[in-house]
This record gives sequence, C-alpha cells and structure tokens, in this order.
Amino acid sequence: MKIWNRNKYAALFLLPYTVLFLTFVVSPIIYGFVISLHKWYILAPHPTYVGIANYAAVLKDDLFRIAFMRTAFFVIMVVPAGNALSLLLAVGLNQDYKGTTFYKVAYYLPVLTSVSVVAILWRWLYSTEFGLLNYYLTKIGFALHTMAPAIFSGNWTVNWLSSTKTAMPSIALLSVWWGAGGNMLIYLAGLKNVPKELLEAAEIDGCTPFQRFWAVTWPLLKPTTLFCLVMSVIGSFQVFGQTYILTGGGPYYSTLTVILYMFQQGFSQYQMGYASAVGYVLFAAVLVFTILQFKMLSVKK
Amino acid sequence: MLAALLLALTAILVSGCGKPRPVDTVNGVTTIEFWNGFTGPDGKTMEKIVRQFNAEHKDIRVRMQIIPWNTYYDKVTLSLAFGGAPDVFILHASRLPEYADAEAILRLDDKVAALGNKVNDWTPRAWAAAHWKGRQYAIPLDCHPIGMYYNTDLFKKAGIVDANGNAKPPTTLAEFLADGKKLTKDTDGDGRIDQWGYIYTWLRTNAHTFLAQYDASWLSKDTRHAAIDSPEASQAFGLMTDLINKYKICPKPEGQDAWNGFRIGKVAMVLEGIYMLSSLEEQKGLNFAGAPCPVFGKRAAVWGDSHMMVMPKKLSAARQKAAWEFMNYLSDHSLEWSKGGQVPVRKSILATPEFRELPVQYQFSKELPYVVYLPQSTATNQVMPFCEAAVEAILNDLMPEKEAVAEANRRIDNVLKRQ
Repeated sequence: MKIWNRNKYAALFLLPYTVLFLTFVVSPIIYGFVISLHKWYILAPHPTYVGIANYAAVLKDDLFRIAFMRTAFFVIMVVPAGNALSLLLAVGLNQDYKGTTFYKVAYYLPVLTSVSVVAILWRWLYSTEFGLLNYYLTKIGFALHTMAPAIFSGNWTVNWLSSTKTAMPSIALLSVWWGAGGNMLIYLAGLKNVPKELLEAAEIDGCTPFQRFWAVTWPLLKPTTLFCLVMSVIGSFQVFGQTYILTGGGPYYSTLTVILYMFQQGFSQYQMGYASAVGYVLFAAVLVFTILQFKMLSVKK
Repeated sequence: MLAALLLALTAILVSGCGKPRPVDTVNGVTTIEFWNGFTGPDGKTMEKIVRQFNAEHKDIRVRMQIIPWNTYYDKVTLSLAFGGAPDVFILHASRLPEYADAEAILRLDDKVAALGNKVNDWTPRAWAAAHWKGRQYAIPLDCHPIGMYYNTDLFKKAGIVDANGNAKPPTTLAEFLADGKKLTKDTDGDGRIDQWGYIYTWLRTNAHTFLAQYDASWLSKDTRHAAIDSPEASQAFGLMTDLINKYKICPKPEGQDAWNGFRIGKVAMVLEGIYMLSSLEEQKGLNFAGAPCPVFGKRAAVWGDSHMMVMPKKLSAARQKAAWEFMNYLSDHSLEWSKGGQVPVRKSILATPEFRELPVQYQFSKELPYVVYLPQSTATNQVMPFCEAAVEAILNDLMPEKEAVAEANRRIDNVLKRQ
C-alpha cells in the first residue's frame, strides 16, 4: 500500500499507455496464440480446437521451410552489409567538416519513406526492359564491347526481379539502401559517446586512425552494435512489404518470406489458425537468434 | 479504482464496436449498399447505371462502394464474418463456392423460380457457374473470357491479310504457328529478336486455355485431386514450351512487361481478357482488333470468369426485395455494362444490333458456348498459385516438367485434403 501511495501519480500517468499497450499489443499476442491452437476458416462460424496440430503441420510444410530458408538468406545478406554500411556512414559523418547535416538528412530520408513508395521506385529501377539500371548497364556493356569485343559480351542486362537467382539479392540490395540511415543515426549516437580523451590518448601513443578505431572506438561501441544487430535481425526476419509489392514471393518461391507466407495463409487462404502458428514459429526462431546474439556479443560488466 | 477504470474503458470500447441496427426503410425509401471492385473505367460505367437506377426507382436508393480488387475479398470476407456486410456485392465465379459452401451468401432458388421463362435468357455456362451443389446463389452479370488481341499494323506489314486487305487473325494451330513465324523478327538487325509473334501475359488464363483445349484441367473432374500430371496436361504444356523453344515465336514469360510489349507494338498477338480492352483503347498509335482464341488442341476452349451478383445470407425481407430488384436491373442493362469491356450473358442482349457493333466484345462473345471456368471448388483460390508456379517453372526451364507438376500436385493435394 505504501508503494501504491508513493507511486499513484506515476501510475495515473502510465495508465493511458498501459491500457493501449494491453489492448493493442499484449492481447493480440495472447489471442494470436489461442488462435494458433485452432483450425479456423474465417467464414466458418466457430473455430475448432486442434491442439498443436497447426504447429506440427507448419514444421512438416515444405513451403514454410522454403520460406524460412529464403528469409534466412535475406537476413544473411542484409544484416552484415546493412550494419557495415551504417557504421561506415556514421564514422564518415562523425568527422568535423561542413555539410554533415545535409548528408545525415539525405541518408535518413529513405528510412522515413514508406515501403510502398520505395518498392514502386525500385520496381522502375529494376525493370528488365525499361529500367534505369539496365539502361546504364546496356550502355556500359555496349561501350566495353565495342572497345574489346573479345573480352566483353555486349549483353549486360540483368533480370533483376524475374530470375530466381537474382530476385532475393535484388530485394536485399534495396533493403540495405532503405534501412541504412536508421542504424546510421544510432551508430552516430554511439560514436558521440566515445570519450574524446581516450581517443586523444591513443593518438598521443602513436596509434594510426585505423588502430584508434579498432582498439578504442569499436570495443566501446559494442553495446550499440549489439542493439543494432539484434534489431536488424528481428526486423529482417519480418521482411514483408518489399516482396509483397515487388515479387509476390516469385519467381518460383525464390522471394517467399515467412511473413509473406503467413499473410498468404491468413488473408488469401483464410486459414487463421495455421497463419498464427506460422507467426509463432517465426517468433520462436527469432527469439533463439536474439538470445544467441546476446550471449555472443554482450559486454561483461 | 484502477479496475473500475479499466472496466469502464472496456465497456466503452465494446459498446463502440456494435453498429447501430440499420433501419430498413425510411420514408418509404430502402437504402442498400452495393460493393464491387471496379476501380477502372468499368467503375464509371457502373456508376452511371446505378445513378440511372436511382433516378428510376423512388423507393430504392443504391449506395455503391468501389474497393480495389486486391483488398476486396478481405473486406468482403471480414464483413461477412464479423458484420457490416453490404446488401448486394460482386463475387467472381471462381470464388463463389467458398462463400456458398460456408453459407455466407443467400440461396436464390425461390427468387429465380419466380422469374419464370426469363431464366432461359441467360447463357448456359455462366448460369451453371452461379450454382454450387445444385443450388443457385447468384445472378451472373457478365462473362469475361480471354480472346486474341492482334496488332493489325504488324499483320498487314507481314502480309497476313484477307482478300480485302484486312489483317486476318489465325484460327487454327497451323495458321497460328505460320503467322507467328512471319511476325517474329529482328527489326533493327542487332541479332536480338525485338518483335515477337506471341507472348504469355497472365500465365493462369493462358495455361488454363491450353489445358482446356486438350481436355485437361488443374483438378480432377470431382475436384478432389490435383490433375496437372495427366498425359493430356503434358500435351498442353508441351505445346506451350514448344512455342518458346521449338517454334521460337514467343519469348519466355516476362511478367508485367509482357502486356506492355503488346501495347507498344513489340508483340503481334496476345491472349488476354476482354476487360483489358480499355487499356488498349488508351494506347495512342496502336491499331488492334479482337478475335476468338485459335484452336490449338483437340477442341475450342478458352478461360473465362464471370462477375456474379450475390446477397449476404443475413438480410431482411425488405432489403432482399430491393437487392433482387437491383440485381435484375443490372442484368437487364448489361448492354451498357458491356461497353466498358465485358461480354453480356443475356441472349436477348447478345442478339441486339447495338451489341454486335461493339467490335471486340462481339468477337469475344463468340467464345461463350465453349468458355471453360476454373474448377468449381472451395479450394480453387488456394491452389491456383501452385498451378501458376508450376507453369512458370516449366516455361522458364527452372526444372523438368515432371518434377514441377509432381511438386505442384503434392501441394495442391495437401490443400484439398484439409477442405
């Protein structure tokens, strides 16, 4: 009671958020789990309880496995490349010269842009016949071909989104571009927290800029790196909008991601129980990866 | 106190969710909601017909809501499951079994029986597609088959003309191959073919047409098993790949670029839906015409679907009456509707001189006697992606045909098992 008396005003201020959080975050999470234990075709009047049958079916479903592997492939491409790029940009923008604000805004703008806008823009860039990328590739290819026909073939066009081999890497490329600015800001904040005197001391001791980064900045940046990696792994496992808009999972399931598969099960096949089970299996997988990352990267106090 | 507050909040939330019970008739006027997905020029046509209906009926007011097709079925399904459903709405014939089987839409047998002889005015295949397990659930508004669009300029340039010098579309496989050969060219001499005789646009409709012409289908006749590994289907897939690899009159599937290829005059022939007509009419400098799909296989057959007019199961008598009146009105006025790129399914309308003056619609209407709908099953919408993926894999040489159809068959059977 004493605690209550002391904190009642705090509780009052927290109440609106708590109510919304319980209503719109926690209860759907619980409800989703309950649904995953049912077979529920949405037009059927009542869901029927099936226990863990949906989970068993998900683990046996080869399309789910394909979707999971394609998603993992996406994560492997996007997380290291995206974080390396973000860190590089952050280090670059952490120097003292004019115009850094302009670049910060420029790199951050894509993050603010909605996925549908980004996807439609890149669809045009990637178009096989009329795309900007292939337009320049054709020009370069033709120029090189006329210079040295023996070495270069003239055809440099890439079937970006229409080949099973290049579709997922193309999606990854645009995702790296799209997301780099977000982590950049976080890395930048991390870099600002590195004490200047440590860097100066290292400089006096005769460290090269690279040694300074490796021996001072990088270890101190570890909590930031952990945060960025964890968040981008979680985010990347949930990739949806890009493939939904650009490829619809094709060609031949090569860009079918787990969330897209869940969406298709839920909203074009209306198998709500099954879709929820897919969601929960992904949740479990991401949880495992997150714990692993914490174990491997966390700083010992 | 906290608990009380929470309780109050929940009460507000819950009470806020319930819609006020709609009143059927106000001052002698029954207002009904009509949902469809006609976002293109067809929506404008429909709006015009609805306005006309409202002007002619003092006791009924129709309020139309257009929802893009890609989210349309989600909205319809959720509204049927959780409330807020419209009073009349459109379903594609291929989706009808899902809603009929779940008893989410109203049986119309009694109402149809009261129509008397008028029922014989509908074309038989569209009429049959309005049924599920022997019961009638819908009134067909139209039929939209695919047919052949051809570029008349390219035909004339290649010398494929009749006695009057008009472009002459192929009607048989032999003619199709011969014309295709003449129309496939490297026009700028850089060693790369840049004008194609034919191109696959939507794999679903194109492959369905080839299959149907060889008496094959995606599912067995009783729709309980996958059947795309049948010998007949193999013949159809064989011809489809031959057009690319053996006869070389068609490139590999190019997705969205394919249709643009025809629009900008780089492709001479496509098999596309009558609903694409307005997209061609908008294209400046394109001279085209329509013709029935050639016979490639054993018999004439072509993919088609219909917009079906249905009512939800839970509907008051007054609203049912108004909705029924409106559905009949739309059908009676489907000549107007067909002008936006549809084929009517009323024999009396098909016979009018006014309809016969619509060049492409009239040509495509010749396909009505042999139009083949997708298999009638509650799982059709779920299994078609597997079918299309198999066709995509076969035509792109991603894997041997045997493997592709076996994989698709297995996935389809999995879905059918849980129906």
